[in-house]
Amino acid sequence: MAVNAEAVPVVDWKQGRVASWLVTVDHKRIGIMYIATSLVFFGFGGILALLMRAQLATPNESFLTKNSYDQVMTMHGTTMIFLVIVPILAGFGNFLVPLMIGARDMAFPRLNAFSYWAFLLGGIVLYGSFFASGGAARAGWTSYVPLSEAFYSPGHGQDYWILGLHILTISSFAGAVNFIVTIHNMRTRGMTWMRMPLFVWAMETYAILLVLVLPALSAGLTLLLLDRQVGTHFFLPSKGGSALLYQHVFWFFGHPEVYIMVLPVFGMISEIIPVFARKPIFGYKAVALSTISIAFFSMLVWAHHMFAVGMPVGLDAFFMITSMVIAVPTGVKIFNWLATAWRGSIHFDTPMLFALGFIALFTMGGLSGIFLAAFPFDWQVTDTYYVVAHLHYVLFGGSIFGIFGGLFYWWPKMFGRMLDERLGKVCFWTLFVGFNLTFLPQHMLGLLGMPRRIWTYHHGGLWEVYNLISTAGSGVMAIGMLAFAANVWITHGLRKGVRAGNDPWLADTLEWYAASPPAPHNFDTVPYVSSARPLRDLRRRLAEES
Amino acid sequence: MPVRVRRKLVVLPFVAVAALIAVGAATAANGGFTPPTPHSPNAHRIITAYDVILGFTVAIFVIVEGTLIAFIWKYRSRGRARTVEGAQVHGHTRLELIWTALPVLILAIIGIVIFVELPGITNVPAANAGDRLNITVEGHQFYWQFDYPNGAHSIGDLHVPVGKVVYLRIVSPDVDHSWWVPQLGGKTDAIPGHPNHTWFKADTAGTYAGQCAEFCGLYHEAMQARVIATSQQEYDAYIGGAVNTDLGRSEFQGVCATCHGMQGQGGYGPAIASSTTLTQAAGLDHVVRHGGVRMPPVGADWTKAQMQALLDYVKTNVYKGAASSGG
Repeated sequence: MAVNAEAVPVVDWKQGRVASWLVTVDHKRIGIMYIATSLVFFGFGGILALLMRAQLATPNESFLTKNSYDQVMTMHGTTMIFLVIVPILAGFGNFLVPLMIGARDMAFPRLNAFSYWAFLLGGIVLYGSFFASGGAARAGWTSYVPLSEAFYSPGHGQDYWILGLHILTISSFAGAVNFIVTIHNMRTRGMTWMRMPLFVWAMETYAILLVLVLPALSAGLTLLLLDRQVGTHFFLPSKGGSALLYQHVFWFFGHPEVYIMVLPVFGMISEIIPVFARKPIFGYKAVALSTISIAFFSMLVWAHHMFAVGMPVGLDAFFMITSMVIAVPTGVKIFNWLATAWRGSIHFDTPMLFALGFIALFTMGGLSGIFLAAFPFDWQVTDTYYVVAHLHYVLFGGSIFGIFGGLFYWWPKMFGRMLDERLGKVCFWTLFVGFNLTFLPQHMLGLLGMPRRIWTYHHGGLWEVYNLISTAGSGVMAIGMLAFAANVWITHGLRKGVRAGNDPWLADTLEWYAASPPAPHNFDTVPYVSSARPLRDLRRRLAEES
Repeated sequence: MPVRVRRKLVVLPFVAVAALIAVGAATAANGGFTPPTPHSPNAHRIITAYDVILGFTVAIFVIVEGTLIAFIWKYRSRGRARTVEGAQVHGHTRLELIWTALPVLILAIIGIVIFVELPGITNVPAANAGDRLNITVEGHQFYWQFDYPNGAHSIGDLHVPVGKVVYLRIVSPDVDHSWWVPQLGGKTDAIPGHPNHTWFKADTAGTYAGQCAEFCGLYHEAMQARVIATSQQEYDAYIGGAVNTDLGRSEFQGVCATCHGMQGQGGYGPAIASSTTLTQAAGLDHVVRHGGVRMPPVGADWTKAQMQALLDYVKTNVYKGAASSGG
């Protein structure tokens, strides 16, 4: 570790190729470990998804038993949310935030390392669920009570699930506090709030949301664990508890969680689009403020997941209105991104393809969300494949496409080599086509009446046609994922990746001022920041001087 | 990449989507682009709301995606170097205010339409007490039980007269379920300790299929339901006789057979066709009420009559023990 700049005799084992990673407190290495670990879990979650699609390809299929299907379905959702999207964004944040604000590291490097190792531990405990007596958790990623109570879900799979999530909430909470302190205190000279990169704005909001809502999840999980293990009955109506209470607690966390998974991606998109359109972001303040207003309203919409539970109509109406209100700042972002492309000089490198694909797909997810907010119509489509389609347009078409854009964009900064462009484009197009093939027909399946979380169905006809298309699409997506893996292998395993300079994309923000990959201490000097685009300012100054 | 190739690639996904739509449209008139044909006033109004939202969202979709494609095409770099910048426009306050206000307006219109349609969806139509049929729907792991006003029960199939308001009280004794027959309206969750209500009025005789929509465990998918709407005479005949003589069969086939097979030959649960428990009132009562190692207490709240009906049915139709008698 380069932290020991003094001539203190360095303990050798800490400098080993593996050991140096195990003991590191460098935000860049921790960020990379977050991302790598999340990508491994992404592979697991993807395999679980393919298993489900194989089972649903045709009616009355028996590829999986219903017992294993329920486990696969539960673990797929939990993996993708808690072990992939949230931590990979923490990884990007870790790597990028100190670089973007011109800092040397996160505010609390050791806490940062703790966050990562707690994340890994949480993931391992969660996957321990598969080895528990009675198999993995199988009550869905939402684990509604009373189904997840000991009587209806015997065995320890559910307990592993609870413990895993508990550890993950601690990890995320520590990480979030670290981000907030870092962003508030460690910005370089001249970097006022209105000169901060939009990704940093997004990470600030992401962290605040996590701090506000994670305790609700922890509380709910604790009560569930007590019910299961100690014999309390917080959620058992037969003994005076409330089954509805759990849903409120869960979604009070669960809906902001959606924005936790998508706001940092908004930030990435706001970084990528201007660089590849060779323009400044259109309406910096509107984009930053819409991030904050989305976060605020995201805490007021939770019960739109619960329109069918029989709330008073007045409450239904309240949650419909707040859910519609949140569409407004989201729309502002979409329009501002479009306006950023307007009169630009657009370069279609892979990061930009993913960013544009994100706009196309996220728009679709946002619009299907308006249907779901209109609660009488929600009564028709809630808990059907329509919702499955909607949430994947938001979380895959949105978050994952953005994350792939971010991977291709910042890869040269992280590892010093460019990923292969041609394979990158193959990756984008197979994912884009495969994604739409997989999830577009699921809207129709939901309207036809196919509930989510069923392990098989008996209808032929349209049900079979759409399910078959969906399964075929999932295969195409798998090819896209393999193209990405191949790309990484060719770039690094075969060392064919072109070496990147400090700033291969001619970007605007400070991370591109550091070397690729950056030195352990990040910067020798940091230029004074006088706008939101310090690197462009620097390029122009240098051009004038020469 | 040459521009021509890029243009083709951009078109590709749209061709795929168009093909997909064509396949759907060719297979059926509806194709899954709207909910199934409604047969109850509340379901009708839900479709009206759907059509209004669909109109606005399709328009927004076309505008946004159209603009995106147009900009991608028009403002492509055309081989210019990265050092060549686009127009350095930092924003435009009035424009941004417009695209903030316009969505507010559209959403307000959608909201108003919802509130106009709402009373017709949620409020039970005023009807004389005699014109309204009150049914209790019990969601169980893993079957639907219907309790009729005269004390009769049926499993899986709900018989109702056409044109009559059917008022449903929806309960669950175990875990969350969700009552849903798409052609007769939206979902209402069956939540233990939290009875809910909904209603429908079937406008045409026929059989309307639905199934449980809230994940409730291993046999969630097997929780199918049918609403059988018939004339008042047929309904009266059913409720006066068939409902009782058929109870044992519907209990065995709707509840027991899910795990033990239609002939009691076993499946997920063990084979029971030759178990003497099937012939013993007390033994059968205990198993059904309390469950077993993996078996849920499927009939914890069944009446004596329900137990008797099951016993009568399985004794003669399922039991294949030493004293085998038909089946």
